[in-house]
Amino acid sequence: MNPHLLTILIFIPLVAAMIMFIVPSGKRAAYKYIALITGILQLVLSGGMYCLFHPKGAGISEERLYQFVDHIPWIRLDMGSFGRLEIDYFIGVDGLSMPLLFLSALVMVVAIGASWNVQKSVKGYFILLMILDMAVMGVFSALDFFLFYVFYELMLLPLYFLIGIWGGARREYAAMKFFLYTLFGSVFMLLIMVGLYFSVTNPDTGAHTFNMLHMMNPANYVNGSFFSALANQELFGISARLLGFVVLFIAFAIKVPIVPLHTWLPDAHVEAPTPISIILAGILLKVGGYGILRICFSIFPDAALQSAWWLGLIGVVSIVYGALVALAQRDLKRMIAYSSVSHMGFVLLGIASLTTEGTAGALFQMVSHGFLSAALFFLVGMLYDRVHDRNIYHFRGLATVMPRYTVFIAVAFFASLGLPGFSAFIGEVFVIIGAFNAESINGLLPRWMAIAGSLGILLSAVYFLWTLQRMFFGQVRLKGGNVWSAALTDASPRETVIMVPMLALALVLGIYPALALDKINASVLALVELITK
Amino acid sequence: MPLPTLTYPVLAAVSAVLLPFVGFLLQALMGKRSQNGAIALITIALSLLAAGYTFAQVWGNEPIHVQWRWFTIGQQVFYVGLLLDNVSVLMLLLVAFVALPVHAYSVAYMKGDSGIHRYWTYLSLFCSAMLGLVVADNLLLMYVCWELVGFASYLLIGFWFTRDAAAAANKKAFIVNRIGDIGFLIGFAILYSFLGTLDLNTLFGQEGFFATASGAEASGIIAHPKIPAGWLTTAGLAFFLGAMAKSAQFPLHVWLPAAMEGPTSVSSLIHAATMVAAGVFLLARIFPLFDDTALLVIATTGAVTAFVAAYFALTQYDIKKILAYSTISQLGFMMVGIGIGMYQLALFYLVTHAFFKCLLFLGAGAIIHELQHLNDKHQLGIDPQDIRHMGGLRKYMPITFVTMLIASLALAGFPLTAGYLSKDALLIHAFEWAALQNDASVAIPYVLAVASILTSFYILRLLAKVFLGSPAIGVMTSARPHEASAWMLVPMLVLAACSLFPLFTTSPLNYGQAWLLQKILPMAALPPLPLLHVLVPLLTTMATVAMTLLVWQWYVKQKYPLKAGGLFFRLSQQQGYVDVFYDRIVAAAVLRCSNVLFWVDKHIIDGAVNGLAALGRILAAIAGWVDQRLVDGFVRLVGKLAWGLGNVLRRSQTGRLQDYMASVFFIILVILLYHLIVQA
Repeated sequence: MNPHLLTILIFIPLVAAMIMFIVPSGKRAAYKYIALITGILQLVLSGGMYCLFHPKGAGISEERLYQFVDHIPWIRLDMGSFGRLEIDYFIGVDGLSMPLLFLSALVMVVAIGASWNVQKSVKGYFILLMILDMAVMGVFSALDFFLFYVFYELMLLPLYFLIGIWGGARREYAAMKFFLYTLFGSVFMLLIMVGLYFSVTNPDTGAHTFNMLHMMNPANYVNGSFFSALANQELFGISARLLGFVVLFIAFAIKVPIVPLHTWLPDAHVEAPTPISIILAGILLKVGGYGILRICFSIFPDAALQSAWWLGLIGVVSIVYGALVALAQRDLKRMIAYSSVSHMGFVLLGIASLTTEGTAGALFQMVSHGFLSAALFFLVGMLYDRVHDRNIYHFRGLATVMPRYTVFIAVAFFASLGLPGFSAFIGEVFVIIGAFNAESINGLLPRWMAIAGSLGILLSAVYFLWTLQRMFFGQVRLKGGNVWSAALTDASPRETVIMVPMLALALVLGIYPALALDKINASVLALVELITK
Repeated sequence: MPLPTLTYPVLAAVSAVLLPFVGFLLQALMGKRSQNGAIALITIALSLLAAGYTFAQVWGNEPIHVQWRWFTIGQQVFYVGLLLDNVSVLMLLLVAFVALPVHAYSVAYMKGDSGIHRYWTYLSLFCSAMLGLVVADNLLLMYVCWELVGFASYLLIGFWFTRDAAAAANKKAFIVNRIGDIGFLIGFAILYSFLGTLDLNTLFGQEGFFATASGAEASGIIAHPKIPAGWLTTAGLAFFLGAMAKSAQFPLHVWLPAAMEGPTSVSSLIHAATMVAAGVFLLARIFPLFDDTALLVIATTGAVTAFVAAYFALTQYDIKKILAYSTISQLGFMMVGIGIGMYQLALFYLVTHAFFKCLLFLGAGAIIHELQHLNDKHQLGIDPQDIRHMGGLRKYMPITFVTMLIASLALAGFPLTAGYLSKDALLIHAFEWAALQNDASVAIPYVLAVASILTSFYILRLLAKVFLGSPAIGVMTSARPHEASAWMLVPMLVLAACSLFPLFTTSPLNYGQAWLLQKILPMAALPPLPLLHVLVPLLTTMATVAMTLLVWQWYVKQKYPLKAGGLFFRLSQQQGYVDVFYDRIVAAAVLRCSNVLFWVDKHIIDGAVNGLAALGRILAAIAGWVDQRLVDGFVRLVGKLAWGLGNVLRRSQTGRLQDYMASVFFIILVILLYHLIVQA
């Protein structure tokens, strides 16, 4: 029995986009309702899948341990002396992707909710949003490298237009920067993908294959091929496998992002419309972390071990650097953008530790940061919608003007700075513990990295509390005077309905992390085993 | 793992923790509809009953340890659980016991405040977290509660958030506590990394890792076999960093005086009696972890703090600041107790201090409340916390005076009070400990003794300035301040009764008989020096009497001999310029660093990206020029050449036969010549 749930999940938005295409552009309200229904359908479906997901389904390198698998031949082409081209429509879910799929569905609903008041060419906007939705789901499900790449590139296109058309004042600059940055990474990824294709054969058919699971098994590499571990080929004096790892890592690290490849992020976030910021922070950054685990680490485990120290260092630098730069910001949205850099640094540090605690913590942190950053950007959007200003110095005493909004933002801030009881706490603490543990378990990371990383926990309290104090406490003083205080109405029912579930989820996961960890554990164990065995 | 059997003490302890939490949830949901604090009051009262039952069942009996699976990460299982032993049930009872009077007091004290529903909500959250902290059975759960009490304290310090000072103070409190939290985090990361567990019983219990380790120590192996000595010390110091921040030890004490921006009832419960003592409690809980280096650092920091804070308290005018520094100083005493290995004395002092310090704050609150009232009524425009505006209140508020007098004497360690039992015991043991040392640390008990004398002085100065002499503001004689309401007075009377000896022992002069010290025993006893047991109490009592006379002369008889404004006076008045140092040097450096990095981010990193983009555009422009001028130029040149050639050759197309013939002959001639020359 295979009801193709995963395929349905991926392609619901495509159907929605087609319906939108047919609906005449006069019916402006229809689009957002179609989008909302799509989003809710996806949320329900992914929620159901999450419940059905068997915690023993480790996945990683074994197809039989994946769940909701659809595996059918897609492109077969006889290429003469190059053998047969073998590209599959191969999707499946394991503990790495399941939480992220659910997260994506949730963030999408939030983003659609935040798009409620879009005025400019509504039809195009929602069609692009649906295509983006499909691509994101596809990225987290694809197990064939070619398919992955198709979805990966497909994400870029709608984002470019969504930022470039619906964005703020410098939208064209930001869209271009975002596009080129990401393209820079993915072009080289293409080279590595082709290189892998020619190095790996399917043990059943003998044909070259894009199947990622085959790429994870050293036995499938052709003798003497470019990426074969035994052949130990070199290019420019660097081991080919290390080179492949580094190139793929850079491609995904740009998404994460890491310092110093992060400068697209503040611009893209600030210029993007609120819903797109939500998607960028909530989902797209996770694609980076996911790609590193699923592709870089799983296909090049030897190189991963070799580079772990550097990855840990990059993680620590991102944590501390992002936090310090966030402290210098005056634009609330930019501050939150830099805080994302800092929080995603924890993901990298945890991954680099290659301990079960660290890796599970990193994955947990990704999920947690997903909906917390979505909530934060949504909250900034609420303020911006009202007065079209985000400068921290232009507000004071907002707690008196907007009490419910203040409660939301205070909860979101404290959740983000890792207050126990919220999800970020579990993520960050276990990343630190894992990084600390690495020296005794596998010797990959020195202990000072964990200690330096914990500085980020301190600094995040500094910038979040400073912002709270500066904007929300004290006597009311607004730059726009009475006009602003009239415009600054408290959170509306629609906004409340969107905010409450996200913050509640952060709370639930913080109090009972087993909800996520039980699904994650088996895969994390298998992954760590695969890499460090 | 099967579920642990729920015995009544366990159920009672769980409900003691969860009742205030339920209260918190209810009040959070009801929002403005719950104003009178009934929910908070009822839940804490029930919690106290439950705590009392737990205490009665567990005290002096075998510890009870229950745990439930919380979550699994990888293959490592983490638990939530309770560890009910003498130390934790004592603290459980203490916290609930002090919290109840403070709740009752708050009914009157906070009456009419527009945000009162928030007050009760936060207070319930605090109680729940604090009760959870004391019974937690593992370090992770303890850390969770540890941060939550800090968070509740943040909310309560900033309760009047429209005041800038309050908004700055709660930020400061949270950030300084965060520094400590990182210490705590690193501490348990070390333990987890080397020993693979965070369970308190497995680590520090009777058969725990550290119990066996200290057995090994006796046989000559110094370090724990599983932890390298360096990391053991680091772990001890890291946990101590956590305790330093929470228990406001120098130089991380700065948040506590600032925290006085919160309502006074909050100060009494959180920033005097319970939360700030959590650091001491933590150290007592994990005591077997500390090696000699860590203990020495703890003792030294405690002694420095005890002295420095007492010195700062000498010259303050804000009644709450004096009490805040007094709290810091007494916490320093407790730290010394830990550092000299006598953690049971630290706990004893923690308990007695909780009562009388809480009472001192409640008394101060009653006075502030009254002065604020007069202030509003008569438009005096004075600071109701400034002791220079008080004086002579004994006549108007006699009950407040008597209760505060008892609390002050307890603080000074006067006989018949609880403070006498606990504080003098600490001093005596500090001397006994110093007798075994042979380095500079022998100075520690002397520093403590000086701090103790300073304590007597500043608290008597406070009493004299507030209650004796004549009223500082004339309006008082006409307006007649009066005693606070029964909601406030009864809690104060209860606490005053607890500040005297009968609660702890039947023999008022011998601390050794105290029931508390019968059941919580140190790991190793110090060799007793009998002379000290007589001499120290005698000397401290005499010192207190001497200070009373001095204060009487200076402040009541107005024969103040010193002139204000000397260097030592200013250093004390300005609290050692520690705050100034943090603001101007540390915070400024962090901000500067952050601005520099932002500049780097904008101009260097992003500059490089934009530079790359610009480079791309320049290359494109060059390529465009090359394409247009060179490549296309060549193409056009070829075209032009062809055209020109065609033009030239066109001329030969004359159409006359003789011309064509001539050309043919000419070509044949050339060929013939070529053949002749080349062939030959």
